[in-house]
Amino acid sequence: MYASESRKASETKSDRPNFKTAIAIAMFAIIAAGLPRVSAAQGPQPLHAGEEVLVTSGEPGRFGGKLVASLRSEPKTLNPITATDISSLQVIGLMAADLIHINRYTQRTEPALAKSWKVSRDGKIYTLQLRRGLRFSDGSPFNADDVLFSFQVFLDPKVHSAQLDLLTVGGKPITVRKIDDYQVRFDLAEADAAAERLFDSVAVVPRHLLQGSYQNGKIAETWGLATSPQQIAGLGPFRIQEYVPGQRITLERNPYYWKADRQYRRLPYFDEITFLFVPSEDAEVIRFQAGDVDVISRLSAENFSALNNYQRARGYNLFDLGPGLQYEFLFFNLNDIPSKQTEEMAHKQEWFRQVNFRQAISAAIDREGIVRLVYQGRAAPLWDQVTPGNKLWFNSAVPRPPRSLEKARELLRRAGFSWKSDGALADSRGHTVEFTIVAGAGNAQRAKIATIIQDDLSQLGMRVQIVPLEFGALMNRAFETYDYEACVLGLLGSDADPNPERNVWLLDGGMHLWKLHRTTPPTPWEAEIDLLMRQQLTTLNYEARKRLYDRVQQLVAENLPLICLVSPHVLVGAKTSLGNFRPAKLNDYTLWNAEELFFRQEESAKTR
Amino acid sequence: MRYFFRRLIHTMFLLLGVSVLSFLFVALAPGDYFEEMRLNPQISQATVAAMRSKYGLDQPLPKRYFRWMQSVLRGELGFSFSYDTPVRPLLVARAKNTLLLTATAALLSWLVAIPLGVWSSSRKAKWLDRVLTLGTTTLLAIPDLMLALVLLLIALRTGWFPTGGLHDIRFSRLNAWGKVEDTVAHIFLPVMCLVLGSLPILFRHIRSALVEVLDSPFIRSARGHGIPEGRVLFLYALPAAANPLISLFGFSVGTLLSASLLVEVLMSWPGIGPLLVEAILARDIYLVIGAVMFSTLFLVGGNLLADLLLYLADPRIRME
Repeated sequence: MYASESRKASETKSDRPNFKTAIAIAMFAIIAAGLPRVSAAQGPQPLHAGEEVLVTSGEPGRFGGKLVASLRSEPKTLNPITATDISSLQVIGLMAADLIHINRYTQRTEPALAKSWKVSRDGKIYTLQLRRGLRFSDGSPFNADDVLFSFQVFLDPKVHSAQLDLLTVGGKPITVRKIDDYQVRFDLAEADAAAERLFDSVAVVPRHLLQGSYQNGKIAETWGLATSPQQIAGLGPFRIQEYVPGQRITLERNPYYWKADRQYRRLPYFDEITFLFVPSEDAEVIRFQAGDVDVISRLSAENFSALNNYQRARGYNLFDLGPGLQYEFLFFNLNDIPSKQTEEMAHKQEWFRQVNFRQAISAAIDREGIVRLVYQGRAAPLWDQVTPGNKLWFNSAVPRPPRSLEKARELLRRAGFSWKSDGALADSRGHTVEFTIVAGAGNAQRAKIATIIQDDLSQLGMRVQIVPLEFGALMNRAFETYDYEACVLGLLGSDADPNPERNVWLLDGGMHLWKLHRTTPPTPWEAEIDLLMRQQLTTLNYEARKRLYDRVQQLVAENLPLICLVSPHVLVGAKTSLGNFRPAKLNDYTLWNAEELFFRQEESAKTR
Repeated sequence: MRYFFRRLIHTMFLLLGVSVLSFLFVALAPGDYFEEMRLNPQISQATVAAMRSKYGLDQPLPKRYFRWMQSVLRGELGFSFSYDTPVRPLLVARAKNTLLLTATAALLSWLVAIPLGVWSSSRKAKWLDRVLTLGTTTLLAIPDLMLALVLLLIALRTGWFPTGGLHDIRFSRLNAWGKVEDTVAHIFLPVMCLVLGSLPILFRHIRSALVEVLDSPFIRSARGHGIPEGRVLFLYALPAAANPLISLFGFSVGTLLSASLLVEVLMSWPGIGPLLVEAILARDIYLVIGAVMFSTLFLVGGNLLADLLLYLADPRIRME
């Protein structure tokens, strides 16, 4: 479309050679070149011979239109190398592409900028074949030099990219070599079972735009929100058009995007995607209901119910995708903290360290009650860290006993606890069992979970107090001062694979929450989890690896370093007319296939 | 002039004190910006420690204060961790929107409150005065949060007003009149919310100030001379009752940057509110301190303005 329009313009010019017109056009061109790209989006470039595009399988859609989504906080940067917050990553996810991609819907890897790859027998060498004829969103060609440059930057310790740890395998950073313009070789110090998935987090950046700032040591500061759109390019389906502080960020079609639909038309279908900044979930819900926003994700169960009543009338559909990857849990402070240890904390930790005690707590907690009361039924009860939403790694053999106060009492008796005449539980030395649970004050669900646990445990004669803490203060206690007794927290895995979770389960992991500080040797089950996690990291066969991780889940469910409670459902919504909408359980839930989305009919909403 | 300079020096000291205190309080709060990063299992502790040292968070407090002071003198007001940029441009871009909202609301509140207050006081204890007093008391009792939610609900149900934001997404493509219309439509609800929130206070102050003056002998004498009531009220009584109102005016100028935080968050108004809330939750400390300093500047500026106006309006103060 764009090509034919420009041809027409040149024909008109040659038909009537007019000096004034020529000057006017030249002046317009000069002025236009200096303006930011706020005009209507450029149409997709026609596919050209030799361009190895990826053909998608979705329903062929209708070109044009604008999608409006919302973000609860503003993106902080457009730099894929330094971004760590959800909003920035979500926007960058639409502007950048990776070599091998995790399909958010199937949760499996699939070819992206690399059309194919070979793995050496020992799993240490990956040779990737890149697609030919691709262009960045500014029209400049893409080849192996861009891949090399991207990995060089991500792996540079001076740059402090968040991906550096992920790209360090077996204690050594991955090395990257160019074989030719379209072949790249990656060498790992040891086999990594999830190596293919590592590529998903590394966005390929254009060397021609960023090399200068990298050499000047300024790469972390480049591509901020104030950067002119002309200075930013990527391989994603969209490119930046306009950022209005505090209000919105608009992306426009990347006319050179490397995916096409079944009819060999270059994607994406939408001309533009606008993200409005809406600072709270409630405000977001109101704007979705009013029709200002076309898709919404991360809905709470309350808001889902509130929106449910108006689905037909307001022209949107809501989707309950079932449990996602997030798991909520209770854990006790098992850190070795002799220097700060008061006598009171010492005997409390004696209880917490007993497996029977933790098992009794787990048996007494009414997980179904939490699901019903906190999530209005939109969550799944959980007995280990892998949720039923994780298609590839869920272990159905983990025992899921229903709530049983009798069993809990039996376990406590076995551990030497007894009940005083007033019903209060006491340990063998006569200390009444009482402790506090800290929970994030800003998270209504966790505060409610803590209250339900308090009530459940009171039926065992335990006295539990709840201390709501501001999130930063809570993190400080959990990670720095270890000044807490028990805590309710949740973790959201970024990927279905167990690999990113290794920091939680390895003995020296930075997220080994319940015991970050250790002076005593690990218990046998802790040592076994550590060993299994290390083994699964280097086991290449999926079935063998699954057996190892199944055992980890079993050990967690038995020994309960984290007493897993529930996994909330992923709740999203979208306009009825949105075509190819296939929400996923992995982040980005709704826009992971933004290039395939389209509106079935002309939108008549007031905003368009 | 000497009075002005003396006040200016006081103001400087006040700002310095506020900066030290806010720096101290923010630094004393447990946790920092990089703490939350630790919940990302993919980032190691070493990386978090490296980032912390990159931004100087591992330095002792006085050194951090000194570095922050240097950046204030450079006009940057510190450095935001999350946005990776100096604080000033972040605040300035949003302060404009906040001021647009609050200045409109303040202007409107005063324009409505003065005639209402004057009118009500001149009919003291009559039915109109009672209705107005009852109405404003009711408004005073309704929390801002509820007011905002009710207004949003009305907008949602009727579709008459946008439910949030400052502009429509097609704003840049509208003509000049369309832009004005769009802005008015968007600003209406948040302004209504702020006006309904501040009107009762202004109204009651104006009313009580005037009621006192209207009882005084010089007003009775003016009325006795047959001077028209409107003239008595606005030209004689109002200036005599002006002193507490000028102080109140200074206060409303002072709170221009901070009065609308809640409304901004609820109605997704792109002002300082959402930025500040996010910064506080994320422990983006220099952004928080920058916003506090900005608000303090307005507060002391407003008070200074009020004092100067009082100085000009009241000869007794000049004599002192």
